[in-house]
Amino acid sequence: MFTNKGKRVGYWFIMPAVITLILLVTYPLLYGVYLSFFNTNLINRWDFVGLEHYISIFSDTKFLKSIWLTLQYTFWVVVGHFVVGMILALTLNLNLKGQTFFRVILILPWLFPEVVVALLWKWLFNPMYGLINAALLNLGWIDQPVSWLGQEKIAFAAVIIVSIWKGFPMVMMLLLAGLQNISKDLYEAASIDGATRFKAFRYVTIPGLMPVLSVTLILDTVWWFKHFNMVWILTAGGPGNATNVVSIDIFKQAFEYFQFGPASAMAVMVFFICFLIGYVYRRLLGNGND
Amino acid sequence: MATIRKKRPLFRLFMYIILIAASAMVLIPVLWMISTAFKSNEEVMVTPPVWIPENPTFDAFARIWKDYPFGDYFLNSVIIVIAATLISIIFSALAGYGASRFRFRGRGSFLTFLLITQMFPSIMLLIPFYQVLKTLGLIDTHMGLIIVYISFTVPFCTWMMLGFFDSIPKELDEAALIDGCGPVRTFVQIIFPLSLPGIAATAIYAFLQSWNEYMFALILTTREEMKTLPVGIGQLNGYYKVAWNDMMAASIISSMPLIIMFLFMQKYFISSLTAGAVKQ
Repeated sequence: MFTNKGKRVGYWFIMPAVITLILLVTYPLLYGVYLSFFNTNLINRWDFVGLEHYISIFSDTKFLKSIWLTLQYTFWVVVGHFVVGMILALTLNLNLKGQTFFRVILILPWLFPEVVVALLWKWLFNPMYGLINAALLNLGWIDQPVSWLGQEKIAFAAVIIVSIWKGFPMVMMLLLAGLQNISKDLYEAASIDGATRFKAFRYVTIPGLMPVLSVTLILDTVWWFKHFNMVWILTAGGPGNATNVVSIDIFKQAFEYFQFGPASAMAVMVFFICFLIGYVYRRLLGNGND
Repeated sequence: MATIRKKRPLFRLFMYIILIAASAMVLIPVLWMISTAFKSNEEVMVTPPVWIPENPTFDAFARIWKDYPFGDYFLNSVIIVIAATLISIIFSALAGYGASRFRFRGRGSFLTFLLITQMFPSIMLLIPFYQVLKTLGLIDTHMGLIIVYISFTVPFCTWMMLGFFDSIPKELDEAALIDGCGPVRTFVQIIFPLSLPGIAATAIYAFLQSWNEYMFALILTTREEMKTLPVGIGQLNGYYKVAWNDMMAASIISSMPLIIMFLFMQKYFISSLTAGAVKQ
């Protein structure tokens, strides 16, 4: 198995996946980079423009604004996921009675398709017949119906809330699994040494959770930085440009204005940003054993 | 931790309050979806809204099959998702096993590349895929979407399978080798059957990803009879007069496969998802 012949067998096993990755990921990706150097409608106009799109992306503030908006969106969504996910994971880790029941309920948002979640919340936010307005009017917290998705500041917050609702279960599950991997002996040792619960959390839980924490943080940040579906259905980037996150911006650029070159250049920049986020996190959190 | 539980009933009460509050936040929207789906057209537009429909009706559920091409959407989704799931399971099980058991050159870069694919904005692949599928005449075909879905399920599924195979002792392979099994036979007859829970989990993941996919299907299908569920449901939202009860009924139907599958396989799923992700 560890002979030379055995080593070659490994290639046969990964072959189908590698071919898939080359044909269906690497090739389209390079093709996307190639497109970013052209002014093209993908049919008959192919004008090579070099780095022009990249230059105009950075001289025009629209794209930078959209990136900044996306960073803010991602920040709040990820913070929300980790606060909610961590609290619930710690709670579920106590093995209280009925925890399986709670776990199944708390995973639900993750199981619904994003399109469904977005439509459901659009219905909840409906200014005329929506549940949220009705409940708040009933409680007397608002005097008249609020157009949740129709005002810039509120729409941005609303989109963030929906994204937190949809995404926290994934973080919760990963953190819970990480918690359950921490050996009980460590807690016993800590309590014998006279550690308080807070100290046990600080010196046993957090370091034990670190590897899971960093992977989850990277994946969650990158996933939501490039999020498209729910924002598209909830607001399509509006009102104005209030929720015009970068994926929406690129999508419109490509499939509404048919500016495939600039759109590709923007997508390439997003890739670098995602890559950078991953790199920065790894440096900040220390790469431990990975 | 066990001692804390016994000593502090107040603490435990507090924990239950957190769980119940969080569950309520999850359940209220879900119950509202169910409630809306069983309402008549008039009752949907009642203010203030009521929780329990006065005359619960299945009309919305009947309408989505009759008035919209929901049957087509559903069938398209089923065909595309099952094909994509099967193919990605086979590819990722093989690759996961290969990377778990053999130390070949390029193994590290292969694994790193799998992780990097998670960094790609899918929108970056959308434009090239659109062009390539158009050239190949694969727009509006099942094949086109199957290809696309494989491209984003294989990498993560391979990670999951790798974590799972790593948890199966290598001694089993060595024993099989000594008994005269080749690597392929070892994989097919010994390791593969042992890894069925991991495969189940990976299958759920691949299924979920493809079943929920919206953006690619939105661009890569144009004819009504080729659209998938998420696209079909999403466009109900664009109609001038939005029928919320129909939309919620359609939403429930399209979520059912995932929820049912998850309830049956959740045990495998959680343990294996984490085996893959945690080990990274």
